Amino acid sequence: MYIDPLIVKKEAEKRALDKTDQEMIEKAMQDGIETAWDRLAKQQPQCGFGQLGVCCNRCAMGPCRIDPFGDGPTRGVCGATADLIVARNFLDDLAVGAAAHSDHGREVLEVLLDTAEGKSQGYQIIDETKLKVVAEEYGIKTKGRKKEEIAKDLALAMLEEFGTIKNKIQLAERAPEKTKEMWKKTGIMPRSVDREIVESAHRIHMGVGADYANILLHGLRTSLSDGWGGSMMATEGSDILFGTPVPNTAWVNLAVLSKDKVNLVLHGHNPILSEMVVKAAEDPELKKLAISKGAKGINLVGMCCTGNELLMRHGIPIAGNMLDQELAIATGAVELMLIDYQCIFPSITHTANCYHTKVVATSEKSKVPGAIYMEFKPETALDTAKKIVRMAIENFPNRNPDRVKIPDKPIKMMAGFSEEAIRKALGGSYKPLIDAIASGKIKGIAGVVGCNNPKIKQDYAHVTLGKELIKRNILVAETGCAAIASGKAGLLLPEAAELAGEGLKSVCKALGIPPVLHMGSCVDCSRILVLAANVAKEMGVGIEDLPIAGSAPEWYSQKAISIGSYFVASGVTTHLGIPPKIFGSPNVVDLVTNKLRGLINATFFVEPDPVKAADKIEAEIERRRKALGI
Amino acid sequence: MKTVLVRPERCIGCRHCEVACAIEHSQSKDLFGMLEEVPISKPRIHVEVGINFLTFPNRCRHCDPAPCMQVCPTDAIYRDEETGSVLVNYEKCIHCEACAMACPFGIIRFERVYQVKFKREVNAKCDGCIERQKEGRIPACVEACKTGALEFGETNELIRVSRKDFTVRMLKSQGTEVEVPKVPENIKAFRDIMTKVAEMGPFKED
Repeated sequence: MYIDPLIVKKEAEKRALDKTDQEMIEKAMQDGIETAWDRLAKQQPQCGFGQLGVCCNRCAMGPCRIDPFGDGPTRGVCGATADLIVARNFLDDLAVGAAAHSDHGREVLEVLLDTAEGKSQGYQIIDETKLKVVAEEYGIKTKGRKKEEIAKDLALAMLEEFGTIKNKIQLAERAPEKTKEMWKKTGIMPRSVDREIVESAHRIHMGVGADYANILLHGLRTSLSDGWGGSMMATEGSDILFGTPVPNTAWVNLAVLSKDKVNLVLHGHNPILSEMVVKAAEDPELKKLAISKGAKGINLVGMCCTGNELLMRHGIPIAGNMLDQELAIATGAVELMLIDYQCIFPSITHTANCYHTKVVATSEKSKVPGAIYMEFKPETALDTAKKIVRMAIENFPNRNPDRVKIPDKPIKMMAGFSEEAIRKALGGSYKPLIDAIASGKIKGIAGVVGCNNPKIKQDYAHVTLGKELIKRNILVAETGCAAIASGKAGLLLPEAAELAGEGLKSVCKALGIPPVLHMGSCVDCSRILVLAANVAKEMGVGIEDLPIAGSAPEWYSQKAISIGSYFVASGVTTHLGIPPKIFGSPNVVDLVTNKLRGLINATFFVEPDPVKAADKIEAEIERRRKALGI
Repeated sequence: MKTVLVRPERCIGCRHCEVACAIEHSQSKDLFGMLEEVPISKPRIHVEVGINFLTFPNRCRHCDPAPCMQVCPTDAIYRDEETGSVLVNYEKCIHCEACAMACPFGIIRFERVYQVKFKREVNAKCDGCIERQKEGRIPACVEACKTGALEFGETNELIRVSRKDFTVRMLKSQGTEVEVPKVPENIKAFRDIMTKVAEMGPFKED
């Protein structure tokens, strides 16, 4: 297929901010590869009932929809109003997101348990310090005990909390007393991980309550069971097994793919198998095999949050975020894409079929037609990982050099800013940060997280918002696709401090850190919660008092709904760049963008324009500074 | 004469009219039955995005005089005098596309229809749901529309309602911030947001 290069270029500029992404979008278009942008265009127009949240397709009396103009039907067959339908839909999305994070967490803990019991292959308990710290929080004895014994008790204690009847999640105790009191008063203290999600599913059923506010409050409770439960357990479990990240330097964008090495892309969210692939790629025999196949070595690169996990702990280069998955394949240089789960386009094998790329699915819950399925099991993980690396190497001779195009310049970035690493960089306590905030050198902190969404030019909102915030002396903490976007734009380098306001610049320079900190994968938004909790405790206030804010400028996923909600529920006002599906109910909009402030001193707000979003984030931070008297 | 009046500000792009139209023009007149049919029935109303994610349900206006009818060389296009609907005699249609060139609304599509046994495409445009109209029922697209974007009735009567609405609003607002008909605040807020989203992505107008 041939399309006028000028048309292709113009289209690519509309689709993505980053030049290397634009280059690969052009190639994908010329190669006739269908991408998410094409599918979005084909989906136009998208149903307004769905976008407004007033479509209910749950029971067999329906599907029903409410006329947002008020002249047609105002109730579904069951009698549900727009308020109720919108609230149920929102809770549904939120619970799906919480389930995704928490189920990921459960798998990490299962591997931790297997490892403690000596049943897994290739895994070790790497971070003994963290193991002990967390075990002690759970009241597990650590003195004089072997790390395996402690790990077993901890894994069991955490796994028990998925279905616990003690009505308590231990890690939520990390929140400041004042914040916990706020949760109790509002009735949103999470009781267990699975229970809140199951109860959400129950509450979505016809005839289980008709009070939209009551349904949404349970949504907040469910989100807390994710943020302070499932997600936090995923982070802590992964740190114990694979090490707590420390600052490192790495490379980002599609140019990290190699022209002469075997390219293996690790895509998805859970680090458990990819960590073994990292080990397997060090195998001398496999390295030799790669050379014998005419390659100069094995090049592992990450994609999305599996990529973030490997980047944080090993400095493995990262090829890109959500909308880069098809573009990576379109380079024609990917021998194998390993997928675990979440955010993997169901059409990824369709894309791979256009080249020599093999897609290997590894999770029993995430099979994809057309992918080679190699089930991950902890007891054979390293063997499976070696087989996968071998398969990639053996596919190298099938690469067609005439169809390969890899962008030239990867961008350098810093990652690895775990909460522990930040605390350490500050000298062991948050006092220097608190002083900088009090003096106004740093006005506040914004957690910018979330996905890509083809409705917005890829990375544009992330990068523009990030730049706007640092200019205003607001330190930015990022995870997920947002962090990768900033990496591509060069904001994750200490040199980017030059773009920051004078106060933030001076702090960054003194500490040698970038003004935008990469704190990990999307489950690692829990690190942002811990950071906020520790700063608040040191200041003697609640999280809801801190001069901080959250943002998901390009979100698409239900997981982002859960993250946004646990930010808000934790007392952090959160910006959304894409409207959530609630605008069919003025009451729900009023509750989540206004009335919640009275309960938890935080709300959502919607603003696609990143500069205006920065204005509002700054105003929120100023409001809180004023309340604190600083 | 009765017609379908479109209120574009009320269209939210659900495409329910398209599905209802396809069902109505299928052999079985049933959603699930329709999916089994060869040839499959296609909608004759088209909801398309203009700018800023806003949509317009475009269908035959049953013009009088009708340009398509005037240019048809085989007299395949004719008018039902009772309802005013412009109809196509599929047996006479030679797929010359002259009607499509003449149509000011671009709504003529050539499709296979079950009434024609040969593998031949014909002008398969809106027939105003003539069968339904003769049974005293309203067109399928109008029945399916739950937002009032499609209304069926005497043209002058429908327009009179809009005029009255406008008059009241004009007087109430003393000429400021006039909008006819009124769009609820939450929908306005949503559309403002989507206008901004449209500015920031692949849907940006050149």
